[in-house]
Amino acid sequence: MRKFAETIKSLLIFQEPKEVEKFVLEETEKDEADNDAEEENSGKEDYTASNSEGKKENWITNIMTAPFVMEKEKKTADKGNKGEKDKKKNKDSKNQRGNISKKISENLDYIKKVYSIPTNGDIVLREFDITVKDRTISAFAIFIDGMTDRMVINHAILQPLMMLSNLDIKGNPNELVEYIKKHLLPQSQLNISDTYEKVISEVNFGGCAVFIDGLGVAFTADVKGWEHRSVERPNTELVIRGPQEGFTEVLRVNTALVRKILKDEDLIVENVEIGRRSKTPCSMLYIKDIANEKLVNEVRRRLKSIKIDYLQDSGELEQLIEDSTILHTPQIIDTERPDRVASMLAEGKVAVIVSGSPFALVMPTTATELFRSAEDSYVRFPYANFLKIIRIIGLFLTLLLPGFYIATINYHVEMLPTDLLLAIEASRERVPFPSIVEMLILEVSFELIREAGVRIPGPIGPTLGIIGALILGQAAVAANIVSPILIIIVAVTGIGSFSVPSFSLAFSLRILRFGYILLGTIAGFLGLTTGLFVHLITLVNAKSFGVPFMAPMGPKTSDRYTHELTRAPVWKQERRPDFLNPKDIRKQPPISREWVKGEQGGDEEDEE
Amino acid sequence: MKSKIAFGVWEAVTIMVILFCTQVFLDFPRTMVENAGNAGWILVIYVTIIVLLLFAIMSKLYSRFEGMDILDISEYLAGNVGRIIAGMVFLVYFVFILSVVLREYAENVKTVSLPTTPIVYIMCFFAISMIVGAYAGIEALVRTSAVSVPVIIVAYISILLGVSQYFDITNLFPILGTGAKDIFINGIPKISFFSAISVLFFIAPFVKTYKNFKSVGYISIIIAGIGLTLSSLVYMLVFPYPASLENVLPLYTLARLINYGRFFQRIETIFVVIWDTVAMLYLSTVLFLTVYVFKKTFKLVYYKPLIIPFTLIIVTVSLIPQSYMSVVELENRYFRRIIWTVSFAFITLIMLAAILFKKRRKRRS
Amino acid sequence: MGKGSFRIFCLVLISALMLIMFTGCFDRREVDDLAYVIAIGLDKGKTNFLKMTLQIAVPLAVGSGNEGGGGNGNKSVILTTIETPSIFSGLNMANNYLSKEINLSHAKVVVFSEELAREGIQKYINALKRFREVRGNTYIVVSRGSAEEYLRSIKPLLEVNPAKFFEMNLSSYRYTSFTAGSKLLDFQLQQTSSGSQPVVTLASTGKFESSDEFNLEGSTYKEKDRSIPLEGDFMAGNIPRVGDLKSEIMGIAVFDGAKMVGELDGGEVTYYLIVNGSFDNFYFTFADPLHEGDYILVSIYTGRPPLSKMNMVEDKPVIDLDIKLEGDIISIQSGENYEDINKLPILEKTVEEFMKKEMERFLYKTSREFKSDICGFGKQMKKKFIDWNEWEKFNWLSKYKDAEFNVNIDFKVRRPGLIVRSTPVYTSEGKVAPK
Repeated sequence: MRKFAETIKSLLIFQEPKEVEKFVLEETEKDEADNDAEEENSGKEDYTASNSEGKKENWITNIMTAPFVMEKEKKTADKGNKGEKDKKKNKDSKNQRGNISKKISENLDYIKKVYSIPTNGDIVLREFDITVKDRTISAFAIFIDGMTDRMVINHAILQPLMMLSNLDIKGNPNELVEYIKKHLLPQSQLNISDTYEKVISEVNFGGCAVFIDGLGVAFTADVKGWEHRSVERPNTELVIRGPQEGFTEVLRVNTALVRKILKDEDLIVENVEIGRRSKTPCSMLYIKDIANEKLVNEVRRRLKSIKIDYLQDSGELEQLIEDSTILHTPQIIDTERPDRVASMLAEGKVAVIVSGSPFALVMPTTATELFRSAEDSYVRFPYANFLKIIRIIGLFLTLLLPGFYIATINYHVEMLPTDLLLAIEASRERVPFPSIVEMLILEVSFELIREAGVRIPGPIGPTLGIIGALILGQAAVAANIVSPILIIIVAVTGIGSFSVPSFSLAFSLRILRFGYILLGTIAGFLGLTTGLFVHLITLVNAKSFGVPFMAPMGPKTSDRYTHELTRAPVWKQERRPDFLNPKDIRKQPPISREWVKGEQGGDEEDEE
Repeated sequence: MKSKIAFGVWEAVTIMVILFCTQVFLDFPRTMVENAGNAGWILVIYVTIIVLLLFAIMSKLYSRFEGMDILDISEYLAGNVGRIIAGMVFLVYFVFILSVVLREYAENVKTVSLPTTPIVYIMCFFAISMIVGAYAGIEALVRTSAVSVPVIIVAYISILLGVSQYFDITNLFPILGTGAKDIFINGIPKISFFSAISVLFFIAPFVKTYKNFKSVGYISIIIAGIGLTLSSLVYMLVFPYPASLENVLPLYTLARLINYGRFFQRIETIFVVIWDTVAMLYLSTVLFLTVYVFKKTFKLVYYKPLIIPFTLIIVTVSLIPQSYMSVVELENRYFRRIIWTVSFAFITLIMLAAILFKKRRKRRS
Repeated sequence: MGKGSFRIFCLVLISALMLIMFTGCFDRREVDDLAYVIAIGLDKGKTNFLKMTLQIAVPLAVGSGNEGGGGNGNKSVILTTIETPSIFSGLNMANNYLSKEINLSHAKVVVFSEELAREGIQKYINALKRFREVRGNTYIVVSRGSAEEYLRSIKPLLEVNPAKFFEMNLSSYRYTSFTAGSKLLDFQLQQTSSGSQPVVTLASTGKFESSDEFNLEGSTYKEKDRSIPLEGDFMAGNIPRVGDLKSEIMGIAVFDGAKMVGELDGGEVTYYLIVNGSFDNFYFTFADPLHEGDYILVSIYTGRPPLSKMNMVEDKPVIDLDIKLEGDIISIQSGENYEDINKLPILEKTVEEFMKKEMERFLYKTSREFKSDICGFGKQMKKKFIDWNEWEKFNWLSKYKDAEFNVNIDFKVRRPGLIVRSTPVYTSEGKVAPK
């Protein structure tokens, strides 16, 4: 209760805002002189006015000292924990940083302790002996069963060490480490580590470590070989035209899928590890000479600053790096399609792929981007625009139709044609509820059907939709619980929400729809308008990585035609979105179809 | 005190058009009929031309004060005293026009769609959107208007075209309405219909350059002039002269007429949505300006804490007139008659004085 | 940002919740809590100023198609009649005994009785135009006889929805040209206009019970020197016809200001519409110039809007009317070969002369007899003035009674229909017509 009172108080009483340095996406300083002209032309953006000079330096030091900072953080974090377990862990982690002992027994003991062998069932610790020039050296290999490829371990690690070591190999057997690396382990990715920490993190991520007596180092071979999905059709973003492959859970496969499409050496795949414990590998993708440096730095800064124990999916990461938690619309696009990521990278955006998640995050996002489906670029110009218009209609139906209906029949009966009015009245006549209750009953049960449809085991799932839609609706009408017209309204609303390409956007619409129903109930169209106005204000106020959310329209940027709600013909898409301030604004020259004689260039003004 | 907020020409134009054209959705076309009979549309063109000329002079004067708003100029002229005097004048002006417009819109919503709802309840909705809009700040407001103005213009034009079947060209005759004197002499104080031009001198620093300022002014005056002319012209084409004096809400009455077959009629309620959006944009922008002027006048650090108190004051003030008729009377008889002194004469005088002052100071040094 | 928007969000949420708590009162009305009046009939009352008849739609009969059943159209509306001092006090009284709140937003027609109309209907129009629920495109009808009787005789049979009946029936003038589209807004604008006067469609209940009673007492054909009435020579109530539909509309009531001053029959309305140019097309019957007793029918549509020139000759307005019409042949009873390019002028000339005569008769009737400028010539006259005060001083409506008309009609046949040449009929007596 007190908390509630405090909330109210904090709402009514002004609190001095904290000085928060906001990130504003500015153009990168360019050193080449020929770019300056371009800069002047495209420098019409309306939302820059901040000094991120100091910021930038900060980032640089941040990047340079990153490992150090992280270590320090870790220490302080660990100090804070006081539990018994944590202390133990603390000790462990300290030891982890310790160097590998030359005595194999110590190593063995340590590894057994760290991995809690034999309690831990899937850790395989294989002890064996190597015979080199009549010397028998004891060794052991450690790897995690299931995450590694057994055949590779057998053939490329154990077999050569145990059997082939007897062969007569030219080389200096005294330099044992070099000798083993160069002659005995025919594995393509082999590292030599001298600290436990490195070894353990390799093993945790599907490596195989080999400890050999008398050596102060361990060999770690990358033998990842866990079961994973192969590249399949994307589940959520199906298209009719265009490539049919989607991301999988494997990071490298995903990055390769993108690189395969772009085939550009300027595509940078930067590795970032997130998660203090999980150390989830993530990749940050951008095109070096297109993406705005400040944007890249900002994304990197946000990623590196995240302190979390385990990061499992890009969905979590999205929530950790998005600008506003409370805002109803998504501020980062998640997509399953490598081709979409590639096309957005080519515009100058930045993508983050998280290992273990088939959804890549692309940022920044604007409202129009959420309308785009991958197909838009592949189908012909008129069709794409037709689809876009349909989608916009779908969006507005989802958002407003129920509220509109409620407002109309509660406040504005004069706007219905008489025939329709009498039909609605006749269908409402036997319904015992007020129309708002009727609407809520149906909307809530629709949401129930939807949610249940996801949970229900596979084969039954699709049937439930039919049961829900047909039987329930039919029965409800027959029982005079709801009027048939309302069923149509709710059904259209539902269909509309499926036509929105972005799943998260559709989510926000589904929630806001209830707000509009309430507003329509309390004040008719006045309520709806108030809602729309506030909605719009929050949208234009929102920013995604320094880019205003409604970017091409409000604030208006120079490239209205190509990046607004409609799509221009491919040959006319000459510029990258201005609001991204890319390093290279031109996508293609004004005349991109040279076979057309005397084609008029789109805009010549920056061809000086 | 360099402002970080900045926006482009198009955004500024849209917000200015909204500020100029709000009255179209109230009683503007009828007021024109009251002033010049069925020649009101000529009066609008005439007034627009005068305002364009005046703006040419004013922008010429302003050219020496790039990056300053009218408060800065008055401070430059007469120090703190000058700033506070100018600030108070505009504060009173803004609070007054806000209360009047708020009351008018609320009254009209009540008349048109919610006849038994208490006026305070209706005002609540406007007040909420005012508060939210002012909290979000001028940047968000201009962006909102940049997004919504194209939609509003389309809806507006479709209303005007929708009634084309009722056009009767003979309604425009006699061509000079109630007389040339009414148009060309009595019409001059009607430049008050463009009194929102004073806002331009407050958002001038946000549009950065003098060139932008000038183009914002000209473009918005021309667009608004076209919009205002069309509204009164269409209204006069549809309603013959004496009958055109009757309607409380000319544009709403026009929208009610739209009638294509048995199905495409009764669409005026959709028009109410547009109408309310314009009102909310107008109200929140002017509210923002009010608190902004207050903040700047008294050199405060934050403006946000002022929003709710000012809203309360405005709502209270707007409830003072006892009837809709007295509000209209207040606006048309008194406010529109004298306000050009503030938004044209006062601003021009300040700038003129500042220029002279500057010269004198230069000479002295 | 996050904090600010959270605060905004909370503010909106709290205020929304507060507003929801307020709700339940005020203007929220369920669509089925309202009774929709389709037609209002106003008579002179016995005990009070007004006798008001309300025709209210029964949605269950109208809306759900399978339940109302076909035959009994009467069920789709209920009627109630009440004596009251004014329209809205009557609504208040009716609300008292009707279960649902009366809503006028879907009223399609307001019927005034002739008696009331002759007294003047300005006060009722003023009341209606102020009320937000009443729309400008509500039709106005003057009933010859009692408005109550007319409304009671309405039985929508071709449609279930009574509102549709009125809308379709009263807009039929576009293809019949026997009535005018008289809507509330038109009436309101014309009654306040200084250059034109309003007209209102005439309606009535058919006076014949069976086809044996038919007579031509009410027809106007004798005034027009005809041996038999043509299709337009009737006013509502006199048309010799019987059937399931009891109600009928025909002709218009002419108003001077808001007072009814006379009636025009269907044929004269045709000329009213021609001068106004507000019709799509209609069938036009006239006597065959070469064959006595036979008639020719053409379908007529406008060639271009009529032009009128106004002049003041010795303080008397002289109006030159130039009308261009086009037509298709519908029927030539005699079989005469008028489609022939050489004979076509005969036909055209006949139409022109016939129309000119009728047109002048109609125009002089409005000016001399009714003294009411229903055709809106005053609007053209207005163009000659540049100042409103001069125009008001000129006082056109008082001058109209002296107006002289010069009518020039230009009629062209454009298409012959499906037959391009009439061939003779062979009988036992040989070939019969055309020669």
